[in-house]
Amino acid sequence: MNTIFKISEPIQSFLTEIGELSYFSGRFFKEVGKRPYEFKEFLKQCYNMGYQSLLLVGVTGFIIGLVFTLQSRPTLQQFGAVSWMPSMVSISIIREIGPIITALICAGRIGSGIGAELGSMRVTEQIDAMEVSGTNPYKFLVVTRILATTLMLPILVFFADAIAIYGSFLVENTKGNVSFLLYFNQVFRHLEFSDLIPSTIKTFFFGFAIGLVGCFKGYNCKKGTAGVGIAANSAVVYTSMLLFIIDFIAVLVTDIFYN
Amino acid sequence: MEKTATQKIKLGIFVIVGLLIFITTVYFIGKKQNIFGKTTEISSIFDNVNGLQLGNNVRYSGVSVGTVTAIEMINDTMIRVEMDIDDKIISHINKDAVAIISSDGLVGNKIISILPGKKNKIPVKEGDVIKSMKRLNTEDMLKTLNVTNENTAKITSNLVKITEEITKGKGTIGMLINDTTMSADLKEITQGLKESATSLSQLTTSLNSKDNVIGVLNDTGTANSIKQTLKNLENSSLKIDDAVKNLNTTITNAKEGKGAINYLSNDPKLVQKIDSIMTNINKASIKLNENMEAMRHNFLFRGYFKKQEKEQKKNQKNSSSK
Repeated sequence: MNTIFKISEPIQSFLTEIGELSYFSGRFFKEVGKRPYEFKEFLKQCYNMGYQSLLLVGVTGFIIGLVFTLQSRPTLQQFGAVSWMPSMVSISIIREIGPIITALICAGRIGSGIGAELGSMRVTEQIDAMEVSGTNPYKFLVVTRILATTLMLPILVFFADAIAIYGSFLVENTKGNVSFLLYFNQVFRHLEFSDLIPSTIKTFFFGFAIGLVGCFKGYNCKKGTAGVGIAANSAVVYTSMLLFIIDFIAVLVTDIFYN
Repeated sequence: MEKTATQKIKLGIFVIVGLLIFITTVYFIGKKQNIFGKTTEISSIFDNVNGLQLGNNVRYSGVSVGTVTAIEMINDTMIRVEMDIDDKIISHINKDAVAIISSDGLVGNKIISILPGKKNKIPVKEGDVIKSMKRLNTEDMLKTLNVTNENTAKITSNLVKITEEITKGKGTIGMLINDTTMSADLKEITQGLKESATSLSQLTTSLNSKDNVIGVLNDTGTANSIKQTLKNLENSSLKIDDAVKNLNTTITNAKEGKGAINYLSNDPKLVQKIDSIMTNINKASIKLNENMEAMRHNFLFRGYFKKQEKEQKKNQKNSSSK
Protein backbone atom coordinates (compact mmCIF):
# COMPACT_ATOMS: atom_id res chain seq x y z
CA MET A 1 0.00 0.00 0.00
CA ASN A 2 2.77 2.38 0.93
CA THR A 3 4.49 1.95 -2.43
CA ILE A 4 1.35 3.09 -4.24
CA PHE A 5 1.17 6.33 -2.24
CA LYS A 6 4.88 6.97 -2.65
CA ILE A 7 4.72 7.29 -6.46
CA SER A 8 5.49 10.96 -6.51
CA GLU A 9 5.02 13.93 -4.27
CA PRO A 10 2.91 16.18 -6.60
CA ILE A 11 0.44 13.41 -7.52
CA GLN A 12 0.12 12.48 -3.88
CA SER A 13 -0.58 16.06 -2.83
CA PHE A 14 -3.02 16.51 -5.73
CA LEU A 15 -4.97 13.42 -4.74
CA THR A 16 -4.92 14.52 -1.09
CA GLU A 17 -6.33 17.87 -2.10
CA ILE A 18 -9.09 16.27 -4.16
CA GLY A 19 -9.97 14.03 -1.24
CA GLU A 20 -9.97 16.95 1.22
CA LEU A 21 -12.11 19.03 -1.15
CA SER A 22 -14.60 16.18 -1.38
CA TYR A 23 -14.80 15.94 2.41
CA PHE A 24 -15.11 19.71 2.60
CA SER A 25 -18.06 19.74 0.14
CA GLY A 26 -19.63 16.78 1.91
CA ARG A 27 -19.51 18.72 5.14
CA PHE A 28 -21.28 21.63 3.40
CA PHE A 29 -24.25 19.39 2.50
CA LYS A 30 -24.32 18.10 6.07
CA GLU A 31 -24.26 21.55 7.62
CA VAL A 32 -26.55 23.41 5.19
CA GLY A 33 -29.76 21.96 6.54
CA LYS A 34 -28.82 22.25 10.20
CA ARG A 35 -29.95 25.04 12.48
CA PRO A 36 -29.12 27.78 13.32
CA TYR A 37 -29.28 29.46 9.91
CA GLU A 38 -26.87 32.36 9.58
CA PHE A 39 -29.34 34.40 7.53
CA LYS A 40 -27.82 37.83 8.17
CA GLU A 41 -24.37 36.65 7.18
CA PHE A 42 -25.86 34.98 4.12
CA LEU A 43 -27.55 38.23 3.02
CA LYS A 44 -24.37 40.17 3.64
CA GLN A 45 -22.43 37.76 1.48
CA CYS A 46 -25.14 37.94 -1.18
CA TYR A 47 -24.80 41.71 -1.22
CA ASN A 48 -21.01 41.55 -1.41
CA MET A 49 -20.84 38.87 -4.02
CA GLY A 50 -23.95 39.60 -6.06
CA TYR A 51 -24.78 43.26 -6.01
CA GLN A 52 -21.20 44.47 -5.76
CA SER A 53 -20.12 42.36 -8.70
CA LEU A 54 -22.89 43.71 -10.89
CA LEU A 55 -20.97 46.66 -12.27
CA LEU A 56 -17.96 44.54 -13.21
CA VAL A 57 -20.10 41.82 -14.72
CA GLY A 58 -22.33 44.38 -16.50
CA VAL A 59 -19.42 46.24 -18.10
CA THR A 60 -17.77 42.98 -19.15
CA GLY A 61 -21.03 41.65 -20.58
CA PHE A 62 -21.68 44.87 -22.50
CA ILE A 63 -18.20 44.85 -24.01
CA ILE A 64 -18.45 41.15 -24.84
CA GLY A 65 -21.75 41.80 -26.66
CA LEU A 66 -20.27 44.70 -28.61
CA VAL A 67 -17.06 42.93 -29.52
CA PHE A 68 -18.73 39.65 -30.38
CA THR A 69 -21.14 41.37 -32.78
CA LEU A 70 -18.43 43.55 -34.32
CA GLN A 71 -16.16 40.57 -34.84
CA SER A 72 -18.75 38.22 -36.36
CA ARG A 73 -20.51 40.85 -38.49
CA PRO A 74 -18.05 40.85 -41.42
CA THR A 75 -18.11 37.06 -41.67
CA LEU A 76 -21.92 36.96 -41.65
CA GLN A 77 -21.94 39.81 -44.16
CA GLN A 78 -19.89 37.67 -46.56
CA PHE A 79 -22.67 35.09 -46.53
CA GLY A 80 -25.42 37.71 -46.62
CA ALA A 81 -26.65 36.39 -43.30
CA VAL A 82 -26.53 39.54 -41.14
CA SER A 83 -30.19 39.01 -40.31
CA TRP A 84 -29.11 35.91 -38.42
CA MET A 85 -26.93 38.01 -36.11
CA PRO A 86 -29.48 38.45 -33.27
CA SER A 87 -30.27 34.74 -33.17
CA MET A 88 -26.62 33.79 -33.32
CA VAL A 89 -25.58 36.30 -30.66
CA SER A 90 -28.43 35.41 -28.31
CA ILE A 91 -27.88 31.68 -28.58
CA SER A 92 -24.11 31.86 -28.12
CA ILE A 93 -24.31 34.36 -25.26
CA ILE A 94 -27.07 32.56 -23.37
CA ARG A 95 -25.65 29.10 -23.96
CA GLU A 96 -21.98 29.67 -23.32
CA ILE A 97 -20.37 33.07 -23.36
CA GLY A 98 -22.55 34.69 -20.69
CA PRO A 99 -22.22 31.94 -18.07
CA ILE A 100 -18.52 31.21 -18.58
CA ILE A 101 -17.34 34.84 -18.73
CA THR A 102 -19.40 35.79 -15.67
CA ALA A 103 -18.15 32.74 -13.79
CA LEU A 104 -14.51 33.49 -14.66
CA ILE A 105 -14.86 37.12 -13.54
CA CYS A 106 -16.53 36.01 -10.32
CA ALA A 107 -13.81 33.41 -9.81
CA GLY A 108 -11.30 36.24 -10.00
CA ARG A 109 -13.20 38.66 -7.86
CA ILE A 110 -15.19 36.51 -5.41
CA GLY A 111 -13.03 33.36 -5.31
CA SER A 112 -9.85 35.24 -4.56
CA GLY A 113 -11.75 37.45 -2.08
CA ILE A 114 -13.09 34.47 -0.16
CA GLY A 115 -9.69 32.76 -0.22
CA ALA A 116 -7.88 35.82 1.10
CA GLU A 117 -10.54 36.65 3.68
CA LEU A 118 -10.83 33.17 5.16
CA GLY A 119 -7.07 32.68 4.83
CA SER A 120 -6.31 35.76 6.84
CA MET A 121 -8.94 34.74 9.37
CA ARG A 122 -7.23 31.38 9.68
CA VAL A 123 -3.78 32.97 9.95
CA THR A 124 -4.93 35.46 12.57
CA GLU A 125 -6.61 32.56 14.39
CA GLN A 126 -10.05 34.13 14.23
CA ILE A 127 -11.51 30.83 13.07
CA ASP A 128 -9.93 29.06 16.02
CA ALA A 129 -11.36 31.73 18.32
CA MET A 130 -14.81 31.08 16.86
CA GLU A 131 -14.49 27.41 17.52
CA VAL A 132 -13.48 28.15 21.13
CA SER A 133 -16.41 30.54 21.61
CA GLY A 134 -18.84 27.82 20.53
CA THR A 135 -19.80 29.26 17.12
CA ASN A 136 -19.54 26.84 14.25
CA PRO A 137 -17.05 28.66 11.98
CA TYR A 138 -17.78 26.30 9.05
CA LYS A 139 -21.47 27.08 9.17
CA PHE A 140 -20.98 30.80 9.71
CA LEU A 141 -18.20 31.38 7.22
CA VAL A 142 -18.30 28.60 4.63
CA VAL A 143 -21.96 27.59 4.25
CA THR A 144 -23.16 31.20 3.90
CA ARG A 145 -20.49 32.01 1.32
CA ILE A 146 -21.03 28.90 -0.77
CA LEU A 147 -24.81 29.41 -0.71
CA ALA A 148 -24.39 33.07 -1.63
CA THR A 149 -22.15 32.32 -4.63
CA THR A 150 -24.42 29.45 -5.74
CA LEU A 151 -27.51 31.64 -5.75
CA MET A 152 -25.98 34.94 -6.88
CA LEU A 153 -24.04 33.69 -9.88
CA PRO A 154 -27.16 32.72 -11.93
CA ILE A 155 -28.62 36.18 -11.30
CA LEU A 156 -25.36 37.81 -12.34
CA VAL A 157 -25.45 35.66 -15.49
CA PHE A 158 -28.99 36.87 -16.32
CA PHE A 159 -27.76 40.45 -16.06
CA ALA A 160 -24.66 39.70 -18.09
CA ASP A 161 -26.73 37.98 -20.83
CA ALA A 162 -29.23 40.83 -21.02
CA ILE A 163 -26.55 43.53 -21.09
CA ALA A 164 -24.44 41.64 -23.65
CA ILE A 165 -27.45 41.24 -25.96
CA TYR A 166 -28.23 44.92 -25.52
CA GLY A 167 -24.61 45.73 -26.46
CA SER A 168 -24.99 43.58 -29.54
CA PHE A 169 -28.23 45.42 -30.39
CA LEU A 170 -26.42 48.77 -30.20
CA VAL A 171 -23.92 47.61 -32.82
CA GLU A 172 -26.65 46.22 -35.07
CA ASN A 173 -28.70 49.37 -34.61
CA THR A 174 -25.87 51.70 -35.61
CA LYS A 175 -24.40 49.53 -38.38
CA GLY A 176 -27.46 47.84 -39.79
CA ASN A 177 -30.40 50.11 -38.88
CA VAL A 178 -32.20 47.33 -37.02
CA SER A 179 -35.06 48.48 -34.80
CA PHE A 180 -35.31 47.32 -31.18
CA LEU A 181 -38.54 45.44 -31.84
CA LEU A 182 -37.10 43.58 -34.81
CA TYR A 183 -33.92 42.75 -32.89
CA PHE A 184 -35.96 41.60 -29.90
CA ASN A 185 -38.12 39.32 -32.11
CA GLN A 186 -35.06 37.96 -33.84
CA VAL A 187 -33.40 37.18 -30.49
CA PHE A 188 -36.32 35.03 -29.41
CA ARG A 189 -36.98 33.60 -32.84
CA HIS A 190 -34.53 30.73 -32.49
CA LEU A 191 -34.15 30.68 -28.73
CA GLU A 192 -35.46 27.51 -27.14
CA PHE A 193 -35.81 26.25 -23.59
CA SER A 194 -33.03 23.83 -24.48
CA ASP A 195 -30.75 26.87 -24.73
CA LEU A 196 -31.85 28.62 -21.54
CA ILE A 197 -32.50 25.88 -18.99
CA PRO A 198 -29.26 23.85 -19.19
CA SER A 199 -27.15 26.99 -19.17
CA THR A 200 -29.03 28.31 -16.12
CA ILE A 201 -28.60 25.03 -14.25
CA LYS A 202 -24.93 25.12 -15.16
CA THR A 203 -24.47 28.52 -13.50
CA PHE A 204 -25.58 27.11 -10.12
CA PHE A 205 -22.74 24.60 -10.35
CA PHE A 206 -20.36 27.38 -11.38
CA GLY A 207 -21.37 29.43 -8.34
CA PHE A 208 -21.04 26.43 -6.06
CA ALA A 209 -17.55 25.67 -7.43
CA ILE A 210 -16.41 29.29 -6.93
CA GLY A 211 -17.62 29.38 -3.34
CA LEU A 212 -16.43 25.88 -2.52
CA VAL A 213 -12.88 26.24 -3.82
CA GLY A 214 -12.49 29.76 -2.40
CA CYS A 215 -13.66 28.66 1.03
CA PHE A 216 -11.62 25.45 0.92
CA LYS A 217 -8.42 27.27 0.07
CA GLY A 218 -9.00 29.98 2.66
CA TYR A 219 -10.28 27.68 5.40
CA ASN A 220 -7.31 25.36 5.04
CA CYS A 221 -4.74 28.16 4.71
CA LYS A 222 -1.40 27.50 6.43
CA LYS A 223 2.11 28.87 6.78
CA GLY A 224 1.46 32.39 8.00
CA THR A 225 0.84 35.50 5.90
CA ALA A 226 2.43 34.02 2.77
CA GLY A 227 -0.24 31.35 2.91
CA VAL A 228 -2.95 33.99 2.46
CA GLY A 229 -1.51 35.00 -0.88
CA ILE A 230 -1.18 31.40 -1.93
CA ALA A 231 -4.75 30.68 -0.82
CA ALA A 232 -6.14 33.61 -2.83
CA ASN A 233 -4.07 32.74 -5.89
CA SER A 234 -4.72 29.01 -5.89
CA ALA A 235 -8.44 29.63 -5.25
CA VAL A 236 -8.64 31.54 -8.56
CA VAL A 237 -6.51 29.03 -10.49
CA TYR A 238 -8.34 25.94 -9.23
CA THR A 239 -11.75 27.55 -9.62
CA SER A 240 -11.05 28.58 -13.23
CA MET A 241 -9.91 25.08 -14.09
CA LEU A 242 -12.87 23.53 -12.32
CA LEU A 243 -15.25 25.88 -14.15
CA PHE A 244 -14.08 24.60 -17.53
CA ILE A 245 -14.36 20.99 -16.36
CA ILE A 246 -17.91 21.60 -15.11
CA ASP A 247 -18.74 23.39 -18.36
CA PHE A 248 -17.48 20.45 -20.39
CA ILE A 249 -19.52 17.98 -18.33
CA ALA A 250 -22.59 20.23 -18.54
CA VAL A 251 -22.34 20.40 -22.34
CA LEU A 252 -22.02 16.62 -22.56
CA VAL A 253 -25.05 16.11 -20.30
CA THR A 254 -27.09 18.70 -22.22
CA ASP A 255 -26.18 16.99 -25.44
CA ILE A 256 -27.44 13.67 -24.10
CA PHE A 257 -30.75 15.09 -22.84
CA TYR A 258 -31.63 17.48 -25.65
CA ASN A 259 -30.42 15.62 -28.73
CA MET B 1 -27.82 48.83 11.01
CA GLU B 2 -28.95 51.51 8.57
CA LYS B 3 -26.28 50.42 6.20
CA THR B 4 -27.51 46.87 6.35
CA ALA B 5 -31.07 47.95 5.52
CA THR B 6 -29.89 49.83 2.42
CA GLN B 7 -27.83 46.83 1.49
CA LYS B 8 -30.89 44.63 1.84
CA ILE B 9 -32.96 46.91 -0.42
CA LYS B 10 -30.18 46.99 -3.01
CA LEU B 11 -29.83 43.24 -2.83
CA GLY B 12 -33.59 42.86 -3.14
CA ILE B 13 -33.70 45.02 -6.26
CA PHE B 14 -30.72 43.15 -7.67
CA VAL B 15 -32.34 39.76 -7.15
CA ILE B 16 -35.77 40.86 -8.38
CA VAL B 17 -34.42 42.47 -11.54
CA GLY B 18 -32.24 39.43 -12.21
CA LEU B 19 -35.18 37.09 -11.80
CA LEU B 20 -37.36 39.36 -13.94
CA ILE B 21 -34.85 39.06 -16.76
CA PHE B 22 -34.99 35.29 -16.41
CA ILE B 23 -38.79 35.19 -16.22
CA THR B 24 -39.13 37.48 -19.25
CA THR B 25 -36.84 35.20 -21.24
CA VAL B 26 -38.81 32.14 -20.14
CA TYR B 27 -42.07 33.91 -21.01
CA PHE B 28 -41.02 34.88 -24.50
CA ILE B 29 -39.61 31.47 -25.30
CA GLY B 30 -42.75 29.90 -23.85
CA LYS B 31 -45.00 32.27 -25.77
CA LYS B 32 -43.26 31.31 -28.96
CA GLN B 33 -44.01 27.67 -28.16
CA ASN B 34 -47.60 28.43 -27.09
CA ILE B 35 -47.06 27.14 -23.57
CA PHE B 36 -49.18 29.76 -21.83
CA GLY B 37 -52.08 30.24 -24.26
CA LYS B 38 -55.07 27.94 -24.77
CA THR B 39 -54.44 25.42 -27.49
CA THR B 40 -56.28 22.79 -29.49
CA GLU B 41 -54.63 19.53 -30.43
CA ILE B 42 -54.91 18.27 -33.98
CA SER B 43 -52.84 15.65 -35.76
CA SER B 44 -51.75 14.52 -39.18
CA ILE B 45 -50.27 11.29 -40.48
CA PHE B 46 -47.08 11.27 -42.53
CA ASP B 47 -45.02 8.49 -44.06
CA ASN B 48 -41.77 10.38 -43.48
CA VAL B 49 -41.23 13.25 -41.05
CA ASN B 50 -37.80 14.25 -42.47
CA GLY B 51 -36.19 14.87 -39.07
CA LEU B 52 -39.06 16.83 -37.50
CA GLN B 53 -38.55 17.26 -33.75
CA LEU B 54 -40.76 17.93 -30.77
CA GLY B 55 -41.26 21.65 -30.30
CA ASN B 56 -40.85 22.50 -33.99
CA ASN B 57 -43.09 25.29 -35.18
CA VAL B 58 -46.39 24.86 -37.00
CA ARG B 59 -47.27 27.55 -39.52
CA TYR B 60 -50.58 28.29 -41.14
CA SER B 61 -50.24 30.39 -44.29
CA GLY B 62 -46.83 31.51 -42.99
CA VAL B 63 -48.04 32.57 -39.51
CA SER B 64 -46.66 30.71 -36.48
CA VAL B 65 -49.72 29.12 -34.89
CA GLY B 66 -48.40 26.30 -32.74
CA THR B 67 -45.86 23.60 -32.03
CA VAL B 68 -45.33 19.90 -32.56
CA THR B 69 -46.13 18.08 -29.32
CA ALA B 70 -45.79 14.42 -30.22
CA ILE B 71 -44.33 12.26 -32.95
CA GLU B 72 -45.61 8.72 -32.73
CA MET B 73 -44.90 5.75 -34.98
CA ILE B 74 -48.17 3.94 -35.73
CA ASN B 75 -46.77 1.32 -38.11
CA ASP B 76 -43.92 0.98 -40.59
CA THR B 77 -45.34 3.56 -43.00
CA MET B 78 -47.45 5.82 -40.79
CA ILE B 79 -46.19 8.41 -38.33
CA ARG B 80 -48.70 10.45 -36.38
CA VAL B 81 -47.61 14.02 -35.63
CA GLU B 82 -49.62 15.85 -33.00
CA MET B 83 -49.70 19.63 -32.97
CA ASP B 84 -50.96 22.16 -30.47
CA ILE B 85 -52.61 25.01 -32.35
CA ASP B 86 -53.42 28.39 -30.83
CA ASP B 87 -57.16 28.65 -30.08
CA LYS B 88 -57.33 32.09 -31.73
CA ILE B 89 -56.26 30.59 -35.06
CA ILE B 90 -58.04 27.23 -34.92
CA SER B 91 -61.34 28.62 -36.25
CA HIS B 92 -59.57 29.62 -39.48
CA ILE B 93 -58.23 26.13 -40.19
CA ASN B 94 -60.72 24.08 -42.18
CA LYS B 95 -61.10 20.33 -42.12
CA ASP B 96 -59.66 19.94 -45.62
CA ALA B 97 -56.45 21.81 -44.73
CA VAL B 98 -53.25 20.00 -45.75
CA ALA B 99 -50.09 19.63 -43.64
CA ILE B 100 -46.65 19.61 -45.27
CA ILE B 101 -43.26 19.20 -43.62
CA SER B 102 -40.89 21.86 -44.88
CA SER B 103 -37.91 23.75 -43.55
CA ASP B 104 -37.59 27.24 -42.17
CA GLY B 105 -35.36 28.81 -44.80
CA LEU B 106 -32.67 26.96 -46.68
CA VAL B 107 -30.84 25.58 -43.65
CA GLY B 108 -33.35 26.22 -40.89
CA ASN B 109 -35.31 23.92 -38.58
CA LYS B 110 -38.06 21.67 -39.89
CA ILE B 111 -41.55 23.13 -39.65
CA ILE B 112 -45.05 21.93 -40.40
CA SER B 113 -46.83 24.17 -42.89
CA ILE B 114 -50.60 23.90 -42.93
CA LEU B 115 -52.06 24.93 -46.26
CA PRO B 116 -55.62 26.28 -46.10
CA GLY B 117 -58.42 24.15 -47.52
CA LYS B 118 -60.73 25.49 -50.20
CA LYS B 119 -63.97 23.56 -50.45
CA ASN B 120 -64.83 22.55 -46.90
CA LYS B 121 -65.62 25.52 -44.70
CA ILE B 122 -66.01 23.56 -41.45
CA PRO B 123 -63.24 24.41 -38.96
CA VAL B 124 -61.18 21.66 -37.31
CA LYS B 125 -61.94 20.49 -33.77
CA GLU B 126 -59.91 18.99 -30.95
CA GLY B 127 -58.47 15.63 -32.01
CA ASP B 128 -59.17 16.00 -35.74
CA VAL B 129 -56.76 14.43 -38.23
CA ILE B 130 -55.94 16.59 -41.23
CA LYS B 131 -54.52 15.34 -44.51
CA SER B 132 -50.81 15.41 -45.20
CA MET B 133 -48.92 15.86 -48.41
CA LYS B 134 -45.60 14.28 -49.26
CA ARG B 135 -43.00 16.82 -50.13
CA LEU B 136 -40.16 16.08 -52.52
CA ASN B 137 -37.12 15.77 -50.30
CA THR B 138 -33.54 16.56 -51.18
CA GLU B 139 -32.65 12.90 -51.60
CA ASP B 140 -35.33 12.36 -54.25
CA MET B 141 -34.27 15.56 -55.97
CA LEU B 142 -30.64 14.42 -55.99
CA LYS B 143 -31.64 11.04 -57.43
CA THR B 144 -33.47 12.73 -60.31
CA LEU B 145 -30.58 15.12 -60.73
CA ASN B 146 -28.18 12.19 -60.94
CA VAL B 147 -30.15 10.64 -63.81
CA THR B 148 -30.22 14.04 -65.52
CA ASN B 149 -26.46 14.34 -65.04
CA GLU B 150 -25.82 10.93 -66.58
CA ASN B 151 -28.00 11.83 -69.56
CA THR B 152 -26.21 15.17 -69.91
CA ALA B 153 -22.86 13.37 -69.91
CA LYS B 154 -24.07 11.04 -72.69
CA ILE B 155 -25.45 13.96 -74.68
CA THR B 156 -22.22 15.93 -74.37
CA SER B 157 -20.10 12.95 -75.44
CA ASN B 158 -22.36 12.49 -78.46
CA LEU B 159 -22.09 16.20 -79.18
CA VAL B 160 -18.31 15.95 -79.07
CA LYS B 161 -18.42 13.13 -81.62
CA ILE B 162 -20.82 15.06 -83.82
CA THR B 163 -18.78 18.27 -83.69
CA GLU B 164 -15.59 16.33 -84.43
CA GLU B 165 -17.18 14.80 -87.50
CA ILE B 166 -18.52 18.16 -88.56
CA THR B 167 -15.06 19.74 -88.31
CA LYS B 168 -13.63 16.86 -90.30
CA GLY B 169 -16.22 17.56 -92.98
CA LYS B 170 -18.09 14.26 -92.61
CA GLY B 171 -21.84 14.06 -93.10
CA THR B 172 -24.24 16.55 -94.62
CA ILE B 173 -23.68 19.30 -92.04
CA GLY B 174 -19.90 18.84 -92.24
CA MET B 175 -20.06 19.22 -95.99
CA LEU B 176 -22.30 22.22 -95.67
CA ILE B 177 -19.82 23.90 -93.37
CA ASN B 178 -16.54 22.84 -94.97
CA ASP B 179 -17.34 22.48 -98.71
CA THR B 180 -16.67 25.81 -100.42
CA THR B 181 -18.17 24.79 -103.76
CA MET B 182 -21.41 23.86 -102.07
CA SER B 183 -21.58 27.25 -100.49
CA ALA B 184 -21.11 28.84 -103.89
CA ASP B 185 -23.90 26.62 -105.23
CA LEU B 186 -26.08 27.58 -102.34
CA LYS B 187 -25.35 31.22 -103.09
CA GLU B 188 -26.45 30.70 -106.66
CA ILE B 189 -29.54 28.87 -105.54
CA THR B 190 -30.47 31.63 -103.19
CA GLN B 191 -29.85 34.14 -105.95
CA GLY B 192 -32.10 32.13 -108.24
CA LEU B 193 -34.68 31.89 -105.51
CA LYS B 194 -34.52 35.63 -105.08
CA GLU B 195 -35.12 36.18 -108.76
CA SER B 196 -37.96 33.67 -108.76
CA ALA B 197 -39.47 35.43 -105.82
CA THR B 198 -39.26 38.75 -107.66
CA SER B 199 -40.90 37.31 -110.76
CA LEU B 200 -43.52 35.63 -108.64
CA SER B 201 -44.24 38.93 -107.00
CA GLN B 202 -44.54 40.58 -110.40
CA LEU B 203 -46.80 37.80 -111.53
CA THR B 204 -49.10 38.15 -108.58
CA THR B 205 -49.23 41.91 -109.14
CA SER B 206 -50.18 41.41 -112.75
CA LEU B 207 -52.70 38.77 -111.78
CA ASN B 208 -54.35 41.25 -109.52
CA SER B 209 -54.85 43.71 -112.37
CA LYS B 210 -57.88 43.21 -114.74
CA ASP B 211 -55.77 43.15 -117.88
CA ASN B 212 -55.43 39.39 -117.93
CA VAL B 213 -57.52 36.24 -117.49
CA ILE B 214 -57.11 35.89 -113.73
CA GLY B 215 -57.75 39.60 -113.29
CA VAL B 216 -60.89 39.26 -115.32
CA LEU B 217 -61.85 36.30 -113.22
CA ASN B 218 -61.46 38.46 -110.16
CA ASP B 219 -64.03 40.85 -111.62
CA THR B 220 -67.45 40.18 -110.09
CA GLY B 221 -69.38 40.90 -113.30
CA THR B 222 -67.34 38.36 -115.16
CA ALA B 223 -67.74 35.94 -112.33
CA ASN B 224 -71.52 36.33 -112.54
CA SER B 225 -71.56 35.73 -116.27
CA ILE B 226 -69.28 32.70 -115.76
CA LYS B 227 -71.74 31.49 -113.20
CA GLN B 228 -74.57 31.92 -115.71
CA THR B 229 -72.55 30.09 -118.33
CA LEU B 230 -71.88 27.29 -115.93
CA LYS B 231 -75.59 27.07 -115.19
CA ASN B 232 -76.37 26.89 -118.89
CA LEU B 233 -73.68 24.30 -119.27
CA GLU B 234 -75.27 22.34 -116.50
CA ASN B 235 -78.63 22.51 -118.23
CA SER B 236 -77.03 21.54 -121.51
CA SER B 237 -75.27 18.65 -119.89
CA LEU B 238 -78.58 17.47 -118.51
CA LYS B 239 -80.05 17.63 -122.00
CA ILE B 240 -76.99 15.91 -123.42
CA ASP B 241 -77.45 13.31 -120.79
CA ASP B 242 -81.02 12.74 -121.98
CA ALA B 243 -79.81 12.59 -125.54
CA VAL B 244 -77.13 10.11 -124.63
CA LYS B 245 -79.74 8.07 -122.85
CA ASN B 246 -81.90 8.04 -125.96
CA LEU B 247 -78.91 7.15 -128.08
CA ASN B 248 -78.10 4.41 -125.68
CA THR B 249 -81.53 2.93 -125.93
CA THR B 250 -81.35 3.21 -129.71
CA ILE B 251 -77.98 1.46 -129.72
CA THR B 252 -79.30 -1.17 -127.37
CA ASN B 253 -82.27 -1.67 -129.59
CA ALA B 254 -79.98 -1.89 -132.57
CA LYS B 255 -77.81 -4.41 -130.77
CA GLU B 256 -80.75 -6.46 -129.68
CA GLY B 257 -81.85 -6.79 -133.30
CA LYS B 258 -84.63 -4.29 -133.39
CA GLY B 259 -84.71 -2.11 -136.58
CA ALA B 260 -82.69 -1.96 -139.77
CA ILE B 261 -79.39 -0.79 -138.34
CA ASN B 262 -78.85 -3.95 -136.38
CA TYR B 263 -79.59 -5.88 -139.51
CA LEU B 264 -77.11 -3.79 -141.39
CA SER B 265 -74.36 -3.96 -138.86
CA ASN B 266 -74.71 -7.43 -137.50
CA ASP B 267 -75.73 -9.62 -140.49
CA PRO B 268 -72.61 -10.70 -142.46
CA LYS B 269 -74.70 -12.29 -145.18
CA LEU B 270 -76.21 -8.98 -146.06
CA VAL B 271 -72.75 -7.59 -146.61
CA GLN B 272 -71.92 -10.41 -148.92
CA LYS B 273 -75.17 -9.84 -150.76
CA ILE B 274 -74.54 -6.15 -151.06
CA ASP B 275 -71.03 -6.91 -152.23
CA SER B 276 -72.28 -9.24 -154.95
CA ILE B 277 -75.00 -6.72 -155.87
CA MET B 278 -72.32 -4.07 -156.19
CA THR B 279 -70.26 -6.35 -158.46
CA ASN B 280 -73.33 -7.00 -160.53
CA ILE B 281 -74.11 -3.31 -160.73
CA ASN B 282 -70.51 -2.65 -161.74
CA LYS B 283 -70.76 -5.22 -164.50
CA ALA B 284 -74.15 -3.88 -165.51
CA SER B 285 -72.81 -0.37 -165.74
CA ILE B 286 -69.89 -1.50 -167.93
CA LYS B 287 -72.34 -3.23 -170.14
CA LEU B 288 -74.58 -0.20 -170.15
CA ASN B 289 -71.61 1.87 -171.20
CA GLU B 290 -71.07 -0.47 -174.09
CA ASN B 291 -74.78 -0.24 -174.91
CA MET B 292 -74.61 3.55 -174.83
CA GLU B 293 -71.59 3.61 -177.06
CA ALA B 294 -73.48 1.34 -179.41
CA MET B 295 -76.49 3.65 -179.23
CA ARG B 296 -74.31 6.58 -180.20
CA HIS B 297 -73.33 4.95 -183.31
CA ASN B 298 -77.00 3.99 -184.00
CA PHE B 299 -78.66 6.30 -186.57
CA LEU B 300 -81.72 6.73 -184.43
CA PHE B 301 -79.83 8.39 -181.60
CA ARG B 302 -76.84 9.95 -183.53
CA GLY B 303 -78.65 13.30 -184.04
CA TYR B 304 -79.41 13.66 -180.37
CA PHE B 305 -75.79 13.07 -179.27
CA LYS B 306 -74.41 15.55 -181.82
CA LYS B 307 -76.82 18.23 -180.53
CA GLN B 308 -75.54 17.68 -177.01
CA GLU B 309 -71.88 18.01 -178.05
CA LYS B 310 -72.63 21.31 -179.74
CA GLU B 311 -74.33 22.73 -176.65
CA GLN B 312 -71.44 21.63 -174.48
CA LYS B 313 -68.93 23.38 -176.70
CA LYS B 314 -71.06 26.54 -176.58
CA ASN B 315 -71.07 26.52 -172.81
CA GLN B 316 -67.31 26.05 -172.65
CA LYS B 317 -66.77 29.00 -174.97
CA ASN B 318 -69.03 31.22 -172.90
CA SER B 319 -67.29 30.39 -169.66
CA SER B 320 -63.79 30.96 -171.04
CA SER B 321 -64.83 34.31 -172.58
CA LYS B 322 -66.26 35.42 -169.27
